[in-house]
Amino acid sequence: MPIIIISSDSYETGREISKKIAKATEYNYVDREILAPIAEKFNLQKGQVIKALEETPSLFGLSAKLRNRLLACIEEATVGKLLGDNVVCHGLAAHLYVLGVSHLIKVRVLSDSKKLASQLSSEAGGSADKIETLLKRKVKKRKQWSLDAFGLDETDPSNYDMVINLSQIDQDEATKNIAGMTVYRKFQPITYSINCLKNKDLACRARVVLMEQFPDVKVRADGSTIVVEVKIKKRTKQKIAGVIKKLAGGVNGVEYVEVHAASDFR
Amino acid sequence: MEAKKLKIMVIDDENIVGKRLKPALEKSGDIVETFENGESALARFDEEPFDIVVTDIRMEKIDGIEILERVLAKSAHTKVIMITGYATVEIAREALSKGAFDFIAKPFKPADLRAIIKRASKELRA
Repeated sequence: MPIIIISSDSYETGREISKKIAKATEYNYVDREILAPIAEKFNLQKGQVIKALEETPSLFGLSAKLRNRLLACIEEATVGKLLGDNVVCHGLAAHLYVLGVSHLIKVRVLSDSKKLASQLSSEAGGSADKIETLLKRKVKKRKQWSLDAFGLDETDPSNYDMVINLSQIDQDEATKNIAGMTVYRKFQPITYSINCLKNKDLACRARVVLMEQFPDVKVRADGSTIVVEVKIKKRTKQKIAGVIKKLAGGVNGVEYVEVHAASDFR
Repeated sequence: MEAKKLKIMVIDDENIVGKRLKPALEKSGDIVETFENGESALARFDEEPFDIVVTDIRMEKIDGIEILERVLAKSAHTKVIMITGYATVEIAREALSKGAFDFIAKPFKPADLRAIIKRASKELRA
């Protein structure tokens, strides 16, 4: 069955509607609960891992190196869950890194900012207008974050299969519409899209292993072959290629490793 | 009881594809005919329908999507499998919404195609 990825300008709204969709479709729900093992691996609080999904690197926040490693681990964990099929995924930015998979339905849910602001104002105090301005600022920050982390603008509607504005359509109706998309033939899994997801999974797993020593590494996979791009000086190329081949060769599912010296790193 | 042999049509303008797939698919005992363009394939399909059509998408004059539409218009039960070296989400979704049974990106192993054909034949025999 198709996989549904929900992105929203409000984490709470996205979570609420995603849970409803999961219930309506009887799919599994995947959200930030899967981040606990990553926090444990890095000896961090879960909140610090979540920062990687929300904040750009800064002097007083996460370093770029740690942020990138955390994001790589989040990608790996998320893609592993998506392979399980029958999934509604939210809060893990999967819409920004799982690309080219035709049975993945990407939906952007726009919250009713006025309603959300007045709700927050009655809960926490402060004027609704001020809170609405803060929410708008948060969306701008999110856009910046998505461009910095994955080179994609998550507020751009062209990155989605459907965009729903909750100020115009109520949540239950939206849930019905999104769940209804799962029966469309065009979104059913096919050999091509399943292979794309498997390739992504293998590349993510290999990248996580390699990043410990090669933070800027790029990996793509095709079947059991992986292609690794890494910054290498000419004189050390052979030695480093050997290390990469040994490390990546130990990843379950990898049979052949190609190593290329990277020419263009974003 | 022995299962009825399937009639499989392979269409690809690169003749190496047909040459390699024909013996690989015939291993299962099915009847395989190969074509290098849409015109001759559709003319043959007009003579008698096939159970399974495996077609490339990017071809001159008649492309794989047109073949898919014309085959299904003539024989709704035929399973059409699309193969392409230029796979994209958009093309895959277009092919599926027009009724393709499955879609696989080139290069692939003959065993991958055999697995798809096995699924198609199960549906045909159900």
